[in-house]
Amino acid sequence: MTTPMVKAENVHKSFGHVEVLKGIDLEVAPREVFCLIGPSGSGKSTFLRCINHLEQISGGRLSVDGELVGYREKGGKLYELKDSEVALKRRDIGMVFQRFNLFPHMTALENVMEAPVQVKRESKAVARERARKLLDRVGLADKAGNYPSQLSGGQQQRVAIARALAMEPKLMLFDEPTSALDPELVGDVLDVMRGLAEDGMTMIVVTHEMGFAREVGDSLVFMDEGVVVESGNPRDVLTNPQHDRTKSFLSKVL
Amino acid sequence: MSVDIDKTGPQDAKPAGPEAIKAIPVRHYGRYVSAVLAIGILVSIVYAFSQGRINWGAIPDYFFDDRILDGVVETMWLTLLSMAIGIIGGIVLAVMRLSTNPVTSSIAWFYIWFFRGTPVLVQLFLWFNLGLVFEYINLGPFYKDQWSDFMTPFLTALLGLGLNEAAYMAEICRAGLLSVDEGQTEASHALGMSHSKTLRRIVIPQAMRVIVPPTGNEVINMLKTTSLVSAVQYYELFKQASDIGQTSGSPVEMYFLAAAWYLVVTSVLSVGQYYLERHYAKGSTRTLPPTPFQKLKAALSLRSLAR
Repeated sequence: MTTPMVKAENVHKSFGHVEVLKGIDLEVAPREVFCLIGPSGSGKSTFLRCINHLEQISGGRLSVDGELVGYREKGGKLYELKDSEVALKRRDIGMVFQRFNLFPHMTALENVMEAPVQVKRESKAVARERARKLLDRVGLADKAGNYPSQLSGGQQQRVAIARALAMEPKLMLFDEPTSALDPELVGDVLDVMRGLAEDGMTMIVVTHEMGFAREVGDSLVFMDEGVVVESGNPRDVLTNPQHDRTKSFLSKVL
Repeated sequence: MSVDIDKTGPQDAKPAGPEAIKAIPVRHYGRYVSAVLAIGILVSIVYAFSQGRINWGAIPDYFFDDRILDGVVETMWLTLLSMAIGIIGGIVLAVMRLSTNPVTSSIAWFYIWFFRGTPVLVQLFLWFNLGLVFEYINLGPFYKDQWSDFMTPFLTALLGLGLNEAAYMAEICRAGLLSVDEGQTEASHALGMSHSKTLRRIVIPQAMRVIVPPTGNEVINMLKTTSLVSAVQYYELFKQASDIGQTSGSPVEMYFLAAAWYLVVTSVLSVGQYYLERHYAKGSTRTLPPTPFQKLKAALSLRSLAR
């Protein structure tokens, strides 16, 4: 039994008095494509953000590759990690946002080079070389010199994926990567993600693209109101949901 | 979605496009009337001033006087250095105020409260007379002197103006930092970048677009506020001009002369600001705005008036 890439045990998260996650248990194996679906407000994005500690969990245990997120355990006690230690762990986790969040004052190439140069202290020449390869991989070799404002949404999102890959992460988090895109641009982004999955990247994907979940996903979890309602093989869950809540959700989106 | 059309598509057809519309444009009579009126008023004001009891001849006599040129240089230095203190101090204070650490944010709040809340002239006198409180300045083995010798008029002016400016710049910088989308910080953190690197590489460069225009305002304001330091015996443009005015017997003329110099420097600074804004517009607009030179060319073509 290998160490799971992500393991959540009874994870809770509250914002003030509002409990957003009410005890999440799940495991993501290495090389797995793990899809999270559910209505908005179900806590799936929040859970994703907890994995790289953009949000701090308020209860339970959450670990990535066998190490706790945000804490160190020593002699049965938990110690909060320093900001620099958190940053060190985030290097290995790539994240792609719904709103792309590219750096608007940098070209596509500079966006992809930024973290390797600034965080890993790579030489610019090496970083530029790999950035070009990554842009080529997402089909944007000819857009290297463009600023984000000169790119379409789909192109921006593909640059954002290349930017995350530049840090050579062992885990990629996708937070509704196609929700802000025009329908005709969704396909290009999903193609890039499919390619990543084929190369064996561990991916957790919060999505409304049921087609992608069915074809590419290895596991699927349906979340609602901060709990996991149903999980399993995507094809089984999507075609033969067991819970009423899942059925009614799927009947609306499929 | 490709629809099969025969090969005589629009590309192959002869370029018999629609004829350009020939219409009589709307006449803006109001523009001509108001232009004539404005010029008329300007001319009458200039005429009135030329007939006043003002010895205009004194201004060209002293315009390039060594003392005046010295004063201009001193004024510009003082503006530059106190703005440098103001901008650096302002960024530090803004970051402190936005910090989650309650101690640093309170210190910044108190600083801004004090320096914005008191007149800069009083602050200048305060620095000048701090010898009343601290007789000596003693930095151990490095430096020891009487306060009154240490606090030269230049240092008084620099500290007084710079530290006051920092309080104003802090609010401008804070607005700039807040204007940057939070997603930028998140994306940067998610890539493993530290707080300080995120600030330096991602947030501040984007905040500059918001910070630069009001800062240009502050620079111009500072240029003129430097005239206050004549009160602590620092010889800058205003002090030089008023001294000459008293000895040459044409005080008002010399104030006009100083005003003309302030206008000249302000104009040069405005051009500099424009290019700085262009620089930080990088990536935020698809095409950069025209340079003042290009604008001037466009404005000089008479069509813009008729349009």
